Amino acid sequence: MAANQKFFEIIKPGIDLDFIGNQKYWIGASITLLLVTFLMLPINAYVIKGRGHMLNWGVEFRGGTEIVVDFAKPVEAGAVREALAAKGFENADVVKYGSAMERGSSNAFMIRLGPVSVLSPEQAKKVEVVLARVGDAVLKKFEFSEGGDKVYIRFDRAVEPTVLAAALKAAGTNTTDKGVQQFGPPQDHTYEATLVGMESEVRAALDAKLGAGAVTSIPQVSSVGSKAGKELQLDGIRALLGAILLIVVYIAFRFDFRYGPGTIVALLHDALLTVGAFAITYKEFSLTTLAAILTIIGYSMSDTIVVFDRIRENASRYRDRAFDRVVNHAINETLSRTILTSATVFFVTLAMNIFGTGVIRDFAFAMNVGVIVGTYSSIFIASPILIWLNEKYVAAQKRQAARPARRPVRRDEEEAVET
Amino acid sequence: MERSWWWKAVLYGCAIILAGLYLVPTVVPEEKRPAFFKEHFTKRIQLGLDLQGGLHLVYEVNIDKAVSSKVDRLSNDIEDAVKKKSPDATVVREGRDDILVSFKNPAGLAGVDAEMLKPYRRDLDEISRDAAAGTLRLRYDPDRVAEVEELALRQAIETIRGRVDKFGVAEPTIIKKGTDIVVELPGLKQSDFERIKGIIGRTAQLEFKIVDDGSEYMKKLAATLPKDGPIKAEPESWTEKHSGQQHEDVFLRSKDRPGLEKFIAGLSGDLAVPPDRELALEEISPRDSGEAAPEKFYRTYLLKRRAGVTGEYLAMADATWDEMGRPEVSFTMNRQGSAMMEKLTGENVGRKMAIVLDEKITSAPVIESKIGERGRITMGGYGDPFKLQQEVKDLVAVLRSGALPAPLKKSFETQVGATMGQDSIDKAKFSMLIGAVAVVLFMLIYYRVAGFIANLAMLLNMLFMVSILAAFEASLTLPGIAGLVLTIGMAVDSNIIIYERIREELRHGKSPRTAVDAGFQRAFWTVFDAHVTNFVAGIVLYSYGSGPIRGFAVTLLVGIVSNLLTSVWMSRWMFDVLVSRRGSVAATLSI
Repeated sequence: MAANQKFFEIIKPGIDLDFIGNQKYWIGASITLLLVTFLMLPINAYVIKGRGHMLNWGVEFRGGTEIVVDFAKPVEAGAVREALAAKGFENADVVKYGSAMERGSSNAFMIRLGPVSVLSPEQAKKVEVVLARVGDAVLKKFEFSEGGDKVYIRFDRAVEPTVLAAALKAAGTNTTDKGVQQFGPPQDHTYEATLVGMESEVRAALDAKLGAGAVTSIPQVSSVGSKAGKELQLDGIRALLGAILLIVVYIAFRFDFRYGPGTIVALLHDALLTVGAFAITYKEFSLTTLAAILTIIGYSMSDTIVVFDRIRENASRYRDRAFDRVVNHAINETLSRTILTSATVFFVTLAMNIFGTGVIRDFAFAMNVGVIVGTYSSIFIASPILIWLNEKYVAAQKRQAARPARRPVRRDEEEAVET
Repeated sequence: MERSWWWKAVLYGCAIILAGLYLVPTVVPEEKRPAFFKEHFTKRIQLGLDLQGGLHLVYEVNIDKAVSSKVDRLSNDIEDAVKKKSPDATVVREGRDDILVSFKNPAGLAGVDAEMLKPYRRDLDEISRDAAAGTLRLRYDPDRVAEVEELALRQAIETIRGRVDKFGVAEPTIIKKGTDIVVELPGLKQSDFERIKGIIGRTAQLEFKIVDDGSEYMKKLAATLPKDGPIKAEPESWTEKHSGQQHEDVFLRSKDRPGLEKFIAGLSGDLAVPPDRELALEEISPRDSGEAAPEKFYRTYLLKRRAGVTGEYLAMADATWDEMGRPEVSFTMNRQGSAMMEKLTGENVGRKMAIVLDEKITSAPVIESKIGERGRITMGGYGDPFKLQQEVKDLVAVLRSGALPAPLKKSFETQVGATMGQDSIDKAKFSMLIGAVAVVLFMLIYYRVAGFIANLAMLLNMLFMVSILAAFEASLTLPGIAGLVLTIGMAVDSNIIIYERIREELRHGKSPRTAVDAGFQRAFWTVFDAHVTNFVAGIVLYSYGSGPIRGFAVTLLVGIVSNLLTSVWMSRWMFDVLVSRRGSVAATLSI
């Protein structure tokens, strides 16, 4: 018989650690971390000078333009900021770009600018004043929407597009001769001016200050209108809540009511602490981060399910034992799997965090944090809540009835497995 | 061996072969692929924008403007009609959808009866009629508004597609998302970003401009050209049919379009194009010009800059054929447009009129007589007839539906340079490789033979995932790769759950065979629940996410399904092979 077979084991099968007995310390630790998270958000927004937002919202959420610039020679972030300010790009965020390993050798910077287009609303007003009269033509309507890269100008009579382009240039906007053209029916005398893209402006600003050819390439540009950003933020919150809700519905369907609240709290706990990690490190919180958090939720969920499944199985097997002991035993029994899985996922994502770039790295960082809190929460958050609920409802009922337990804590498929 | 075992062997074998076939187009370069694949398996994984570089744009379609200009036009028509009867009437626009007709003398209102409004019955609803005050309020029909919105969107998509196609981007994706249009141009060179953004965002469409022939300017310009340069001056002449008047002109021709464009852009000082004129190009294909020269060339026209009539006034456009059987577009102008066209052509009989589409001359026929409401656009060139017809169809799609200009507003943009793409690929590959190698080694050391089965299952999992993605022609993005790596993690998790369970059963003294049975059976629901929850998260990600997140969600969803197949069912089958050989039962299990 194979009963004495030796396995390669990291966690020995007989392990019996008291997780539940010490739960108050663990829960205390979680509450402290959650408090830190909640405190960190306003601290980021109002106390720490360089930060200014609750989270370092990525360009997708904040709206604005994000440009990665590669320089020929090493430059100081301060010099870049100055060069931009000289051309009117105030308050530009300039940070070194690249993974931890390349940071020494690469000269790339990530520049984040508030506006999406070259024309700010104030500038647009100025331009409107300048354009009030172009030749004989009188301005009838000046249409500009923030975030757009176009201006619509209507006159009372026809104006040559080239003349208008010259007037626009004189007013301080950047457009090419071809950038102005008639729009709509000719008798409308409406013209459409397309403004030069942000990255050309930035490049010009940097070349002007740091010498021509200072910028070798602009490998990446993203810009998001502020309206789209708001929508994405809302979508993100909706996605998060939607996912949690659906998962909880599934749990309620597969297990019973006592198992629900613990999982919800554990999921929220994981999501919040991951957000907390982003608040503390002030790493960019982007769409990818959101995807990572949703993945963490799914992952943490499966972690909780493995433990809960075993609790359910054991609860029906050892009905004579105290429920909290059953839970503790189940956690110990699944501990080997929990540690092995978490460790492999952790190390895979750690490799991605160290060697990957950009999106991959952000994703991996979130996963690293998430794997740790996700594993932790199934043992130290979800299980105590389950015990507490059991104590409050099921055990109390039993005592009231003063009879041996009658209520089976299992489902049909369990029975199928048992037989 | 049980009978079902054989069935499973055949089934799994077929699945693996099929997956392998789907994988071939992605892995084997086109020229080395046997003809069989070119016919049956052509779908392959595309590299996403972040991996090969390119441009991702999201445009909002300014639908209000489209509706408003439609109502503008209706308002003009109504004004014309009403003023014919009673000149003291005023017609004004109110809000986006309303037209207000008022009369100084309230009695005039009676003239605006059902008969007069009949042509507009489909478009306008009568909201209120105040006989005492002499006012009438008409509102653009809500159904029409919806129609205009829908058409504006569709037209915008068609227009963008047409323009992008002309630019020659390999695999552009142009899709509608709500009232937004998402344009993805993978593989686009960074130097073209600015240009193509300009082209996509342009709202100008069809214009009719008169050619200024016999100008002093062109003669002057032609005289400065070197005799044997790449750009040559050429005279042309034609006779007006009715009056017999001779027209003479000079134009520039060259085979090199960018060169000619550069030359024109560089004209300055004395030779600068007069401010009210412009030099536009037409592509002439060899057979058009009746020359033997096999190459196409480009020629200039000096145009009056102001467009006489624009595509705004189109009522209908259709694909038809000309007398030589070439596809062409015939169009009908609306009332106002016909009047303008009549005026324009009437004044310029004998001259040429250039039909300018998105700043390119498609043709410049001589105006032989006054043109009213109908006209045609012949597509230049004798290219592939199928392609030509496609072009005609696209053009019709653009011109139809009253050719409403719905301005586009860019709301989202991501540019990724190709170097960035390559760099990311290498790094992602490397990080993925390290992760995978570590996991494979770990499984082998920790679970030995069972670990080998797990690794085999993982390999099959990758095979299925990649081939399913190929079958969907999904594009692989960086987050997609992250999804792949995550799936490895999940596959490992499923195996660990099952193996730990089997070990437990073995410790309880069960035989390998019963331990495997019990282990798989008990662990199944745990694994299944874990997969379902992840699947749920994946679906939410897919439905709320955009671009990169969707890529991640797709790989995650595909991974979950193929993982259940490989880690649970296929590895179970391999265990069956391991523990129950024909006629005998294995006594130990290396796990």
